[in-house]
Amino acid sequence: MTLHGTARSQAAAPTTAKAAPGADGPGPRRRLGRRHREWIAAGLFIAPDALGLAVFVGLPMVLSVVLSFFQVSGFGSYEFVGLGNYARMMDDPLFWESMRITGVYVVVLVPLLFVVSLGLGLLVRQRVPGVGVFRTLFFLPYVISLVVVGLLWKFMFDDQVGVVNQGLRAAGFAGHSWLGDPSTALYSVIAVFVWVMMGYYMIIFLAGLQEIPREYYEAARIDGAGPWTQFRTITWPLLRPTSFFVLLMSTVAAITGGFELVFVLTEGGPANSTSLAIFYIYQQAFVFGEYGYASAMGTVLVLAMLLCSGAIFKATRGGRFDDDR
Amino acid sequence: MDTSKTAGTTGATGATGAANTTGTANTTVTTGTSHSRMTRRRLLAAGAAGAAAAVTSGCGGSASADDGPMRFWNFYAPQRSEDPALNAQSKWFTDLVEKWNRSHKRQIELLYMPPPTYQNGSKLPTAFAAGDGPDIFLASPGDFLRYYNGGVLADLTPYMDRRALDDYHPDTLDSRMVDGKVYALPMEVEPLAVFYDVGVWEKAGLSEGDVPTTWDRLLDVGEKLTTKTRAGLVLKTLPGYLQNFLWYSWMWLGGGDVLDEHGAVTVDSRPVRQALQLWQDAVRSGITPTTAPAGDDMISGFKAGRAGMWHSGIWEIASLKAFAPDLEYGMFKHPLPPGGKYTTALGGWSFCANAKGRDPQAAAEFCAWALGTMEDECVDRITDWCIEAKRDIAPRKSALRRGTERGGYDDWAMKYMKEEVFPGGRPEPRYPPVVYKAMSDALQGSMLAGRDVGEEAARAAQSVEAYVRSYKGASLI
Repeated sequence: MTLHGTARSQAAAPTTAKAAPGADGPGPRRRLGRRHREWIAAGLFIAPDALGLAVFVGLPMVLSVVLSFFQVSGFGSYEFVGLGNYARMMDDPLFWESMRITGVYVVVLVPLLFVVSLGLGLLVRQRVPGVGVFRTLFFLPYVISLVVVGLLWKFMFDDQVGVVNQGLRAAGFAGHSWLGDPSTALYSVIAVFVWVMMGYYMIIFLAGLQEIPREYYEAARIDGAGPWTQFRTITWPLLRPTSFFVLLMSTVAAITGGFELVFVLTEGGPANSTSLAIFYIYQQAFVFGEYGYASAMGTVLVLAMLLCSGAIFKATRGGRFDDDR
Repeated sequence: MDTSKTAGTTGATGATGAANTTGTANTTVTTGTSHSRMTRRRLLAAGAAGAAAAVTSGCGGSASADDGPMRFWNFYAPQRSEDPALNAQSKWFTDLVEKWNRSHKRQIELLYMPPPTYQNGSKLPTAFAAGDGPDIFLASPGDFLRYYNGGVLADLTPYMDRRALDDYHPDTLDSRMVDGKVYALPMEVEPLAVFYDVGVWEKAGLSEGDVPTTWDRLLDVGEKLTTKTRAGLVLKTLPGYLQNFLWYSWMWLGGGDVLDEHGAVTVDSRPVRQALQLWQDAVRSGITPTTAPAGDDMISGFKAGRAGMWHSGIWEIASLKAFAPDLEYGMFKHPLPPGGKYTTALGGWSFCANAKGRDPQAAAEFCAWALGTMEDECVDRITDWCIEAKRDIAPRKSALRRGTERGGYDDWAMKYMKEEVFPGGRPEPRYPPVVYKAMSDALQGSMLAGRDVGEEAARAAQSVEAYVRSYKGASLI
């Protein structure tokens, strides 16, 4: 609550109710100002979510940071090691390799997902009969469990009879072991992730696109602007807030997501080529029983994510328009 | 995924030993007892204890010596399935627990988890981390050191009949023992072999005389069986404890090992490189696919004509009977490299009692009562498990004898497993995660990334040597 709001509400408080002269006891109840009431209402609406976030996200995050300073056996033994886990991380080639793989994953996935989602958004914006069916079809993968998606694509990527290779062979190309070749496994996982997420971001873009008044396009057409010019001068600039949101959310999803897909499709293989940081953290915690070390890596990963988010904020000015203050 | 298969999956799981655990030195964390001075370190330790519980589990709380029933976590019972074999396995467990509950004050309740959740999931390690582990649970050799070094395995020896200890096949108990004491009791023994589809075999112009006895012949036969849509020989490709378990046999066949009998690291040796080379050659020549066909399910793979040969274990026999009764299949022992000596890895799960559970004594007593006495009832129970509920080699001589008398090993597949495959086998090693990971990386790098086997073996040897130097805990071998 700001001081300004308080002062205003006090100033706006009704002054009609006055205590009778000489009357004892408490004065009449002053009605809360409108701004006060709005703040309370807003607080009440936000409280359940805020409480849930605090208990299920905030607290575990804090505890995880605490845990990162301990060596934990997983059987009740906690030994304070200070920055030992962080020092160990510096010397762990598998951790750096997993961070490198995560970097590639983010750098390839985010732009690809952005372009595909935006393309789909532009496509399904058209007012043509049956467009609703396509919107539904594109969105459908997003509602399927990632484990099911993983299993589905595992069969589709099958070397010999998978639909991907069958299609390639039918088109005159050679088949390939997409998930079995270390040089293509990560990109295969990225392709599946794009397939899953594109519908969700398509909807986000569609909402942004529908915010743009059609009159702008009509005026541009009258001025002789073609589709590309219209996109470049109207759509792209006015989509800025939406683009920022998609960029930020997909980056966060890329850094912290993808675990289920990797777990089902490749289990981090072949030859560690899909061992994303999030997967390596899982392995350290639940396969190796190194909860403290895994927590330290998790902390570093969160910091990396915050840095990426900050960079995106800075680069896009938080998605604000140039004339926004 | 064929659930019947997972029920028989060997003891190579994802949940395994904790690296760098130092015996059973547990820091007791007090959180606000009136007499304890709360130093900064203690405060942090208390915070960490809470963190472990909160971060790794949705429900904390430690097992206490209360009067509630002991919890027996497993991946067999109670469940209902379309597969009669799974129902029989479930019944074996429920009967066992009912019998105990009728005759003992301390009750037991079974808690079922689907095999993938139990074997590759985080539920069991998380429960232990939160101080809420089960009182009785199933573990594989790969899990042993983690639980032993974590101080949660109760000594079962005092509750066992000495004669029952001697009744176990030689070496079967070794990987579950420390300083002569038994900490886990095997319920089964699961050897490995190569299965093949007889129909495919004959179509390729092969006969029984072509069954390979050498690695070179194995690759030759594999080549003959390979087509555009069929793998000649399927080897495990996904990284994990199971892949290592399946590969160790090939390493041993040439006399190689990760650690010798004195605990010295012997990874960087000719037999190890040779075994890595074999799996690399199988992939390079196109005989072995880099991703297993039919979702890595042998029965589906054979039924769909997607594989000629498949390296797997005895647990497939029950699944073949249930899901492909008309499929004509064969199997053969591991072929040998030049100068090699036959062996196979022996997997299998064990009963364990939680030393930090509600009632460690009763839990240990239960494990010994169920599998570790010379009572007829106990021997019959093990026999029933290995010839009726499942199809395995019985871990004890008396149960194997009884199973044979009862005709459990009369059919050709079980007979072959018992008489040809099992003798000469070696128990699955109990290497902790760092050793597992070093070997897994070497295998994955050689097999799927096509890296130099010499370099991979040398790198693995370095990792294992560094680990062994600082390792504190029960013997790794």
